[in-house]
Amino acid sequence: MSAAGLLAVTWLAPLAASVLALATLPPLVALYFLRLRRTKRVISSTLFWTRATQDLRANAPFQRLRFSLLLLLQLLALLLLIFAIAQPQLDLGGTNAQRVVILIDASGSMSATDCSQSTTRLTEAKRLASERVRSLSSGGLFSSAAPSIMVVAFAKDAQVVCPFTDNAAQAIDAIASIEATDETTQIADAFELARAFTTVTDPDNAQAVIAAPPEYELFSDGRIADLDKVVLRTGERVVFHTVGAATTQNVGIAGLAAARTPERPDEVQIFARVVNWASTPYAGDLEVRVDGTLRAVTPKPVEVPALHEDSTTKVRIAGETQVVFPSIALPQGGVVDVRLTTKDALVADDCASVVAAPPHALSIAIVGKGAFVLRSLLEGMTLAALDVFSLEEWDRRLASDAQTPDAYDVIVLDDAMPAQLARGRYLVFRAPPLAAGIVAYGEKQNASVRSLRDEHPLLQYVNLDGLFVASMTAVAPGGDADVIVEASEGPLVVTVNRGPLTLVYVSFDPMESNWPLQRGFVNFCSNAIAWLAAGGQAVTDEPLAPGDIITARLPSDARTPVLRLPDEREIALVVPAQSNLSYGPLRRSGVYRLQWEQGSADRAATTLSYAVNMKTRTEGRCDAASEISFATERVTGVQGGGSAASAAWPWLLLAAFVLLILEWWVWLRRV
Amino acid sequence: MSGLAASAAATSKGRFDKIDDLIDSRLMARLDRLDVVSRKIFTGKIQGERRSRRRGQSVEFADFRNYSPGDDLRFVDWNIYARLDRLFLKLFLEEEDLSMVIALDMSQSMDGGDPNKFDYCRRLAMALGYIGLVNNNRVSLFGFGGGRIERLTGLRGRRRTREMGRWLLDRKTDGDAGFADGMRAIALGGQGRGVLLVLSDFLFPDGYEKGLTYVAGRGFDVYALQLLAPQEIDPARHGVTGDLRLIDSETAEEVEVTASTSVVAKYKESLERYVGSLREFSVRRNISHQVVETSLDLDTLLLDYLRKRGLLA
Repeated sequence: MSAAGLLAVTWLAPLAASVLALATLPPLVALYFLRLRRTKRVISSTLFWTRATQDLRANAPFQRLRFSLLLLLQLLALLLLIFAIAQPQLDLGGTNAQRVVILIDASGSMSATDCSQSTTRLTEAKRLASERVRSLSSGGLFSSAAPSIMVVAFAKDAQVVCPFTDNAAQAIDAIASIEATDETTQIADAFELARAFTTVTDPDNAQAVIAAPPEYELFSDGRIADLDKVVLRTGERVVFHTVGAATTQNVGIAGLAAARTPERPDEVQIFARVVNWASTPYAGDLEVRVDGTLRAVTPKPVEVPALHEDSTTKVRIAGETQVVFPSIALPQGGVVDVRLTTKDALVADDCASVVAAPPHALSIAIVGKGAFVLRSLLEGMTLAALDVFSLEEWDRRLASDAQTPDAYDVIVLDDAMPAQLARGRYLVFRAPPLAAGIVAYGEKQNASVRSLRDEHPLLQYVNLDGLFVASMTAVAPGGDADVIVEASEGPLVVTVNRGPLTLVYVSFDPMESNWPLQRGFVNFCSNAIAWLAAGGQAVTDEPLAPGDIITARLPSDARTPVLRLPDEREIALVVPAQSNLSYGPLRRSGVYRLQWEQGSADRAATTLSYAVNMKTRTEGRCDAASEISFATERVTGVQGGGSAASAAWPWLLLAAFVLLILEWWVWLRRV
Repeated sequence: MSGLAASAAATSKGRFDKIDDLIDSRLMARLDRLDVVSRKIFTGKIQGERRSRRRGQSVEFADFRNYSPGDDLRFVDWNIYARLDRLFLKLFLEEEDLSMVIALDMSQSMDGGDPNKFDYCRRLAMALGYIGLVNNNRVSLFGFGGGRIERLTGLRGRRRTREMGRWLLDRKTDGDAGFADGMRAIALGGQGRGVLLVLSDFLFPDGYEKGLTYVAGRGFDVYALQLLAPQEIDPARHGVTGDLRLIDSETAEEVEVTASTSVVAKYKESLERYVGSLREFSVRRNISHQVVETSLDLDTLLLDYLRKRGLLA
């Protein structure tokens, strides 16, 4: 702890102390100005008294203030009392809180190597947190007892690494076990999680909290996306330990896509978006590698504008540049890496990957009335097969062969609901799929879009501003449903992912809207079919983000699946019966490879690759914040590990009492 | 009534209002046997009852000398003329009258103490003046203080006792002493050479040196009787303690004093140093200095104290 930290004092009641000082100090000094009340006595001559005594006084009512040990002691005692009233909080490494929650940011930006000896921010945060735990456990000068400590690591979600414990070693071991991730930073879950452990309510009154709130010790670079969603409760105190440098700058790849064109299915076109979080413009090259082999380099340095501030909103916006590479011949598919040739503090976003599957035409079935518009749209796509079934025909096939849905990459249900909806990937229009947990409760008319998640892959290049729905089914989605587009009358587009069953539900018939007349309808259908066909069967795999979960549909005879992580570690997986294989959340960015044995083929022949890229738009900003703003409170960061305050007023009162005793003793000696 | 009793009675009444308060008959009877002794030989203006070294008209033969024209024929020894046919003149030891001047300090500082210093001063002046009158000396009284000098001169004989007493009763204290002016007036007053008794506390802000120098150089046989109250000599024993605001009765100057042991000790040390310097100053100028505490009985003072010190015989 620095000397400055040792002397840091916070006054909780400075106004009260000021009032007390004004009310008491001047009268005390005035008492020494005022003369003693003396008995008047007329004598013949004061000649000898004048010579004898030193207590000469002028005739004025006030006398010149002379040094007095009594006055000095009284002033000191009074000042100590005033200081005690001001309730100084000394930062001496201790804390008054009975419970302390250590919050450690393990998000992607904490992997920036801008700390001493080029260590990462997370390493530094763990070191500071461990120091803090030691100082709390040893107790400060004014601490009565060491508090209980809980350790929570958070990134996209929060995790209790160590529940409340009085064992400092246990807490420190837990801190050391925290691993870096490339996830985004979400702190609201961490607070909710900590409050679940720390809030003790009265059994007779659930609203009455009977335990003091904990003190939160946050170790982070301060770049937290959802700070404005956190409202500190009464009594909650957050100490923000700033980790990282405020001047760190970063350039990263924010987006990457590889697409095969219908005209040249053997070629892949690569699109990349470079984001610059630096205060100066960036100019540098990008290289493209396929399965590790360099295939292309930008012909000239890519120029990215600097970070700038929006003149209207005053929000700092990163500079962005989109890069389109010439088509690369890729007949067999592979993993495409796009990498910045320059290095900066945050390496994780300097490279982005995408898995380009080999050219493969989809097989799609249409069940139901098979509207002309929809069928024409699908016929326009390069497909291996497009079969149209009536509902009765589909049900008969299902009855004869339950594996029928596996024969198609995507099944389009056009206002039709089969008897069985157990497995398969469906694009459903109008008829509510009850089996997927979507319950219809009526019909609604004249709906328009109220909100949508435009970042979702389904809505890529889809503009729904002009969408008007004449009639829709009012549905209540289940708990595992994900509402993508919502109208004022209810959800318009919902996704459900239940292991072997994945569907996109559109709650209205496109023919009862103006959507078929818009270009967005074509894009939406294309996006929906590509998204549903994910798992190596689609044209291009959508990159995953850290924190996502891998879900794979393996063949029924697949054996001993193994997941190879970006750092080449292997994790053996178990294929659950009647369900897709899943693993996650994926903590780091990079390429994950799922391999299994099938028949006589070895693992190398059966591989599924998953690209996981850091979300640079939210995690790429690497200049550490000196203060953070919650919804209702602003917290200034402190450097170093020790920051908890300890009350000093009991000791000030004791010192004042000792001074008063000393003053009394001096007075007695004088009298 | 003894002197102390008289003093107590006078104090109880507040002020003297009759001569008996100054001197009672018993004391007068005892004083009749006393006379003032001068350490010097003076030439009186008229024949007194004092035996002088000068040849004069007394009954005690001293010598003969040859007659010179103009000599008083009454002193011619006619018996020798008859035997020797020569004129001789008989010489006798002449008896001279003594000029006795009593100077009273009437400054405000004298009106203090218990017994009151001014009352004690007047009683002492009365007693000394009575001794002078009884012995047919020429008695003069001077009072100085408050910027004025009051005098009563030319008293001789016992019958002037009441007049002297009346004058003393009428004297009041006021203002500062004006000691130098008072002594200067006495020195230049033409009272003839004699005994000068200065009755004062000698607590003069301007100092005593100048005043005493006036009279020391004029042939007076000076007696400085310094009257001090018991409260001035030992304040702690007479109730002068605690936190006090002392007011100078003459100058109205105020002094705040916490009369602690150490402060009183310093006061006494300062007083002793002052009295010592006055005594030393007096001795150097052949002045007899005596400190008289007003609590001292007047009989004891006159019949014992002053006799032992040679003023009275």
